Amino acid sequence: MRSRLYKEPQLKDPYMITGLPGIGYIAKLSVEYLIKELKAELFGELYSSSFPSYVLIRKDGTVELLKNEFYYWKDDKSKNDLILFTGNTQAISSEGQYEVANEVLNRAEKFKVEKLFALAAYVIDKPVKKPKVYGAVTEQELLEELKKYKVSPMNVGSITGTNGLLFGLAKLRDIQSICLLSETPGYRTSSGHFLADVRSAQSLLEVLSKMLDIEIDMRPLEKEAKVAEEFIRKMEELERQQAEMMHKAVTPPPKDIYT
Amino acid sequence: MSWIKYTGQPVVKEATAIVGSPGLRSIGKIAVDYLVEELRPKLVAELYSPHFPILYGTKPSYAPHPDFLGQAGIKLEKGHVELIKIDFYSLASPPLLITKGYHADFKGQYEVAERVLDLYQEFGVKRMIVLAGYGTKGKDVCCAATDLELLEELMKYGISTEYEGPFYGFSGLVFGLGMLRGIRGISLFGRTQPNVVDPEYPDPKAAKALLERLSSLLNLTIDLSKLDD
Repeated sequence: MRSRLYKEPQLKDPYMITGLPGIGYIAKLSVEYLIKELKAELFGELYSSSFPSYVLIRKDGTVELLKNEFYYWKDDKSKNDLILFTGNTQAISSEGQYEVANEVLNRAEKFKVEKLFALAAYVIDKPVKKPKVYGAVTEQELLEELKKYKVSPMNVGSITGTNGLLFGLAKLRDIQSICLLSETPGYRTSSGHFLADVRSAQSLLEVLSKMLDIEIDMRPLEKEAKVAEEFIRKMEELERQQAEMMHKAVTPPPKDIYT
Repeated sequence: MSWIKYTGQPVVKEATAIVGSPGLRSIGKIAVDYLVEELRPKLVAELYSPHFPILYGTKPSYAPHPDFLGQAGIKLEKGHVELIKIDFYSLASPPLLITKGYHADFKGQYEVAERVLDLYQEFGVKRMIVLAGYGTKGKDVCCAATDLELLEELMKYGISTEYEGPFYGFSGLVFGLGMLRGIRGISLFGRTQPNVVDPEYPDPKAAKALLERLSSLLNLTIDLSKLDD
């Protein structure tokens, strides 16, 4: 693993918020939205040999490596500064996911993070108008916090990948942690790629911003959610048409042609 | 861990590295193999690795997976035993370090790319040109680069950016990780028709188009007619 540190910010009782790409890109979308709206500053990057073996060619023709990033946000009015962790990928081997999660938590300990908010997806069978947010905690006393913000406790289930490991390993290190999971049907394209579920990220951010006691403008996200929903609707319609065509193509010819 | 066997000293310092590997329709591999055959550069180093499968666990070879690492082994050619390796060849004029790449398994992809870059730095490489293929709509040859300045230079040669998306495997990683080390570089992609059944099925025509562009960039005179066969 290789890391780059651009700055060592002095942070006041920081909270850490983590969200890497996973089902519906909910965790990543949410953290990225916070970064954009709060104008958080990049201060570190992390590269792992367990990331997928490719680089990205951007639209302008320049190359970008797969990486995870650390941002920070400071505000005089806020009680707690923020460290935001996200990236354009996550490690794909279990070994690599543990390695990355532990490295992130090393940083969390170094910055004396007061509380970690791990964001993730809660997979459901079908789409809902208003995705519900579930929560899991590392300590009993945090259950009160879930209640206060009307977050349903998730009592049974599993959280795969680095997003889940960050939460679990935080507990081992006695870092107070809340995992927030937002409902999503986990839209996929016919080739199996996940589509961004902006509506789900919106629900998650509504809860998270209250918990963090920060104000963020949700209007741009509302616009994005509408565009994403329209895209998904069109894609589903296209897939339905394709399925119909396939069905027609394999329908046997009428019997009377043999007579 | 990978290791390097030196077979000679580079004939020139501060050469431009030329990189190719068996990627999409094997365009990068065909191109570097052809350059070595035609220009007869001097073999100066070989990189060996326990992460080079002789039988890949995935298809295509450039999309490795942690659960499918493949099998190590040797190959026999004309009765001679050979280990799988990456070859580095040095050419004086123009000053080039031609690299015949190979895709490692999931565990070795990044490590091998880093080891290659160690060698480049040891040999004083400052720039690289990566040769590969692309399978979307666009011109016969398009490009990418580590920075916008290089892209502007390429525009003067009529080579534009057409491709946006992932660049898989050995060549992509050497290109991207090289940028982290301050090695500036460009990538030239020859356009091809992807072959779903065999993604690495050779496309010499696309490799020829790529080498034509490379020749004009480097002022090289190479007979490319053998790629018409």
